[in-house]
Amino acid sequence: MARWQFRPPVERYRDGFRINLDREERDLVVRLMRELRGLLLGSSDNPLLVRLFPTAYHLPEHAAHDEEYQRLMREEIVASRLSGIDTVETALQEPPPLSEAEMMALVQAVNGVRLVMAAALDVDEDHDPDDIDDDDPQAADYHLYAFLSWLLEWSVRALATP
Amino acid sequence: MPLGVAEPSLDEDVATDRPWVVLVWNDPVNLMSYVTYVLQKLFGYSFEKATELMLQVHHDGKAVVSSGAREKAEIDVFRLHEFGLWATMQQDD
Repeated sequence: MARWQFRPPVERYRDGFRINLDREERDLVVRLMRELRGLLLGSSDNPLLVRLFPTAYHLPEHAAHDEEYQRLMREEIVASRLSGIDTVETALQEPPPLSEAEMMALVQAVNGVRLVMAAALDVDEDHDPDDIDDDDPQAADYHLYAFLSWLLEWSVRALATP
Repeated sequence: MPLGVAEPSLDEDVATDRPWVVLVWNDPVNLMSYVTYVLQKLFGYSFEKATELMLQVHHDGKAVVSSGAREKAEIDVFRLHEFGLWATMQQDD
């Protein structure tokens, strides 16, 4: 019997982190980074972005504070996300290893894509993307969402391992 | 704010002294391990403390993760938003 050994998609070594994705998966992540950049540079009214820019002041009495926060900080969040996406794209196309800062940018960006996909797929407490039927017209997107969750889980595990 | 429009109330004067708290709310997208890691990284909490806060978010729907003056709370909210966490702030009751 052939010996099959599971290899985590992200591993921490003494000199940094290694991403063990195959070519196709790596290209997919890079393509998703580009799509996220496109969305961030597009219309700010896009409902897909709603989870990327949460309310800061949730009480109605602080509505004016929230307006000011959104006016001043939204651009800062866009800038920070774009810079993270640049970091990830470069890091995935260069020889390993990735630094901790690059891994942090990766988890932030992968989670950003998940937040966008969750808005598109209407993920909520009663709508678990793990319980998806293969006949569902959005099955491919749910599988992609699950792939990103898997990658994120292993990335956090590698980062959190001393 | 134009003079004569706003009437500062006694409530507001008292309110300015109260500290602000930063809350993280439960949401179905952010993974438990991710939330724990972000709380450790941003606030320097131990794994145990961050896990406790994450579980409070998960079970009670929200948890206070930091507090202080309004400016400081706003920076904390911003840093949590950079990581995609559902964070808001309000004055402490």
